[in-house]
This record gives sequence, structure tokens and C-alpha cells, in this order.
Amino acid sequence: MEKSGVLVAKKHHLLVRWSHWLNVPILLGLFLSGISIYWASPIYRHKPDPITGNFDVAADIGVWICAHVPGLHHYRSPPDWIYNHVSLGPGLLALALRLHWLCAYLFMLNGTAYVAGLVVGGGWRSLLPRRTDLFDALRMLRYYLGLPLAKLTSRKWLHPRFNTKYNALQRTAYFSVPVAGFLSVATGWSIHKPMQLYWLAALFGGYNAARVWHFWLMWVYILFVVPHVILVFADGWDTLRSMIVGWSTRVKRSEFTANEQ
Amino acid sequence: MNNEEKVNSVDHEPRTNETAPSVAVESVSVEKRQGLFEEQPPPVIEMAPRVLRYRARRDFLLFGAGAMAALAGGGFLLPQDTLSRMGARRDMNSLGKEWFLNRALRIDDDVAEALYSGNRRVPTYTKSQITPLKNNYNGATPDPGYIPGWNLTIDGLDSGLSISLDIQKLMTRFSVQDQITRLVCVEGWSAIAWWAGLRFDDLLRAYPPMSQAKWARVESSVNLDDSGNPDPYFMSIDLATARHPQTLLATHFNGQPLTVDHGAPLRLLVPVKLGLKNVKAITKITYSAEEPRDYWAERGYSRYDGI
Repeated sequence: MEKSGVLVAKKHHLLVRWSHWLNVPILLGLFLSGISIYWASPIYRHKPDPITGNFDVAADIGVWICAHVPGLHHYRSPPDWIYNHVSLGPGLLALALRLHWLCAYLFMLNGTAYVAGLVVGGGWRSLLPRRTDLFDALRMLRYYLGLPLAKLTSRKWLHPRFNTKYNALQRTAYFSVPVAGFLSVATGWSIHKPMQLYWLAALFGGYNAARVWHFWLMWVYILFVVPHVILVFADGWDTLRSMIVGWSTRVKRSEFTANEQ
Repeated sequence: MNNEEKVNSVDHEPRTNETAPSVAVESVSVEKRQGLFEEQPPPVIEMAPRVLRYRARRDFLLFGAGAMAALAGGGFLLPQDTLSRMGARRDMNSLGKEWFLNRALRIDDDVAEALYSGNRRVPTYTKSQITPLKNNYNGATPDPGYIPGWNLTIDGLDSGLSISLDIQKLMTRFSVQDQITRLVCVEGWSAIAWWAGLRFDDLLRAYPPMSQAKWARVESSVNLDDSGNPDPYFMSIDLATARHPQTLLATHFNGQPLTVDHGAPLRLLVPVKLGLKNVKAITKITYSAEEPRDYWAERGYSRYDGI
């Protein structure tokens, strides 16, 4: 018998952890193939340019990037810059569609596993929005925004206290992303089967509007992932490890905050 | 948040066990009844460091194996062009890749077929909702010289004969149906257009296909490729879809006879399928029991294309 046991708090159910990591390759596949599909018929367009004939806003941005970013002045096809860097590549619509459907089915299966993990593990309770979330989220946002300056000036900058698994800002983010996942799937089906599921497309304002929804929902993941990854590394090893092994050794702190009440 | 309840639940928490067990013991018991939606404190367990190390090692190895598998899966599934762009030198095109992606595509086609209902009509629009529809011939637009001598040949009939119909006969023999429906392209764009023509279903009733027929091959022999060379266009359509009440053999667009751009004198208009199934300038329809070849399926697209 070992005398000194380690106290660990169970944080994430096995299904939650696996589906969390599986989202990385699946979403990456969905982005790359999705942008390839977007390329075939961009939704953001303007009147064709009299000289180049270009109408695609993403091509304009590519041209701008190649004109202003050092080292890109001799890029061979500036209008394609965006697509060449964030899609599968030119002329691959058929393959992009096949990959997109494949990843989309995997995404739906994975999302189901995630929700199952939340239900079985009871983790769903930690994600539910609360009445106080708006105010608390703003406090957290203020903390994060002020943190770099406080560090630079060596001022004390206190982390807002909370006695829940996640702070209000985390909770908002972790609740929004599954909702976005659900909406991505719903808008995806509505533009994949706009005739058999026309009621679904109508829910989003019709076929064309559903395409716009589907496009912008992609940005929810991008806008989520960037701070998510930064903050996980800022928060430390225990947090990152807990998404792999499921437990955290930060028990003292949570007990401490619980006793503070 | 109810503070009193929080305090209670903390009080109920047994003070950390003095006797450290070898594996795990639930130390936070949820004796206090909590609301269904109320967050519960995470279960805290005590573990022997040895067990913890072992579990962490096991989970990290599994995670590493999973990451390698995902990487291998990406290398296996991504198109060769994309891999080459990312710097992969080796040719990673394999028959397995094709097989696997085709398999996944078939699943999606089966789902589409299951979603299809012969009774479900697609939404129709008013004339004020009509949007422009440009000439979407994939290759060069055919020279209109074919129109005067045009005939529709129908094969695979129950009578065993092959028949030939001219446009006059098609337009006078069958009743005309008008509809304003959305045409959706595989590329993502769509157009609401006003069509008129005979129902495919009426043609099937007038000239019944052989009894075991499940498919129609619809083709256009006047189709051209980019450089203007003959490139016959052929497409498969299941008879269930051909019988849909809104599947037309269209003769008119925007109240005028079809122009060459839109497939004069007769084109398929099947709003429950992607635009690429809407063959222009049809010259022949062949009924068959087996699924016929399909121009775009041979180029990597779905063969069912039901939307």
C-alpha cells in the first residue's frame, strides 16, 4: 500500500476526450474541402473588374496580399493566393465534394459521441449558460485584455474568482461551439438536399442564405480555436493533459475556492 | 447560485481519507440532492502515484497512436495534387483511396435516395423571383445547325422497337406543364427559372419502357468539348426520379422556345437532381435494367445526385 496517494479530479469523459481530438483532423478536412467547394462558386462577389474580369472577393484579398506582403510580389497567380493556401488546390471540386461528405458524416458521428460523453459523464451541466454569465464573461474578458499590460508593468492583476468547472467566458465558448456544430450540420444538410429538405433551408432563409450561414459558421470554429489553443498553453500542462488522460491534479485549488464561499 | 447549498455540499464532503487506498475511492459523495441542471463538483479520487503514472503513460501512447493514425489517414485520403503541394514527393495515389472515397460517396447516394420521395414536390416560385440563368454548357456551345433535323430516339421500350419523335410531335401529342423552379448546380450556385414542357412521366406512359427497366440513359450527341470537338454527354437517371411530377422534358424557357444556349429543342429538367443531370439538347433516351454510365460519375462526381 502506498501511503501518499495523489488526489485527482475527474474532468473529461473518455468519449469527450476522443471526440475532442478527432475534431482536429475532421474539421481540418472540412475546411480544406469546404474552401475548395466555395472556390467553384464564391458567394462574396462583385461586378466583374473591367480589366481582369474578376468578381471574387477572396481573389481580391489574394491580390492585395501579394501586393503588400514582402516576398510575395512575384507570386505566380495572386488571385488564387487564398485558395492555394487554404484549400485542397485548384480543379478538385469532385474530390473536394467526396472528402467533404466523408468528413461531414464523421463529424456527425463524432458530435454524437461528444454529446453522449457529456451525458454519460455528466459534463453537460458545466456547459449550461447561467443568468450571471454575461456579466462574468465581460469580467473575464477584461482580465484577459488587461493581462499583457499588467505583466509588462508588473502590476497585480487578479484572476476573477469562480467556483465552477469553467469560468463564464469558457462556458460561453464551450457551449457555443457544439451549437455551431449542430447549426453547421443543419445548414450543411439544407444546402446538400435543398429540395427534399427545403423546409430546413427555409428555416435559414432559403438555399442561398443557408450557404452564407454555412460559410460563416466555419468562422465560429476559427475564432474559437485561436484563443482556445493560446489559453490552454497559458493555463498550463495540467489543463492540456486533462484532455488526454481525463483527470487533473489541481484539486487543492478547486477545494480552496469551494471553501471560500 | 445558492450559497447555502454550496456550503452544505462542502460540509458533506468527507475529509480526505487518511488511509490511502491503492486504486481509487470516491471521496466526494453526492448525497445532497441537487437540481438536475445544477453543476456538481467533479468527483475527486485518490490514486496511487504508480497507477496514475501507468494510466497517463497508457493514455499518452494511445493519443500518439491516434495522432499518427490521423496523419496517415490524411495522407491516404488527400488527393495527390494536394499532397504534392504540401511537399510530399511520393506518389500516394492508390486504388484503396479511390475505393474508399467511392464507398463513402455511395453511402451519401444511398442516403439521398432514402430521402427522396416521389410525392414530394419541390418549391415553386413566382415570376418576380426569377433570376438570370446563363449558358452553362461545360464545353463549347453547339452550332444550331443540328436543330432542323433533330429527332429524339427512344430505345429499350416494352415494344422492343426503337422509335423516333420530332419536336412537333412531342409538343402536340403531350400536354404542356409550366413551372418556375430552382436549378441547383453542383458548384453551389442556383437559378430560379421558368420552364415549360412535357412531363417525362407522360412520355413513359405513352411509350412504356421494358418491364425490367429501372434506369434511363439520357444523352446528347451534339455536346462539344472545350475545343469544339464532339463530346457526347450521357447521364443516368433512375426511373423513380423520371416519374416525378416535376421532371420535365422542357421545350420552353421564359415563355420562349429553348435557345441553343439552353439546349434547344428539348432538354431534361429535373429539379430534384443537380444541374449536371439536366441534359441539354437530348438526342436519345435508352431504358435499361442496369445502371447506365454517367458522364460526371466517371469524372469523380456522385452518380445519383439527388438533392
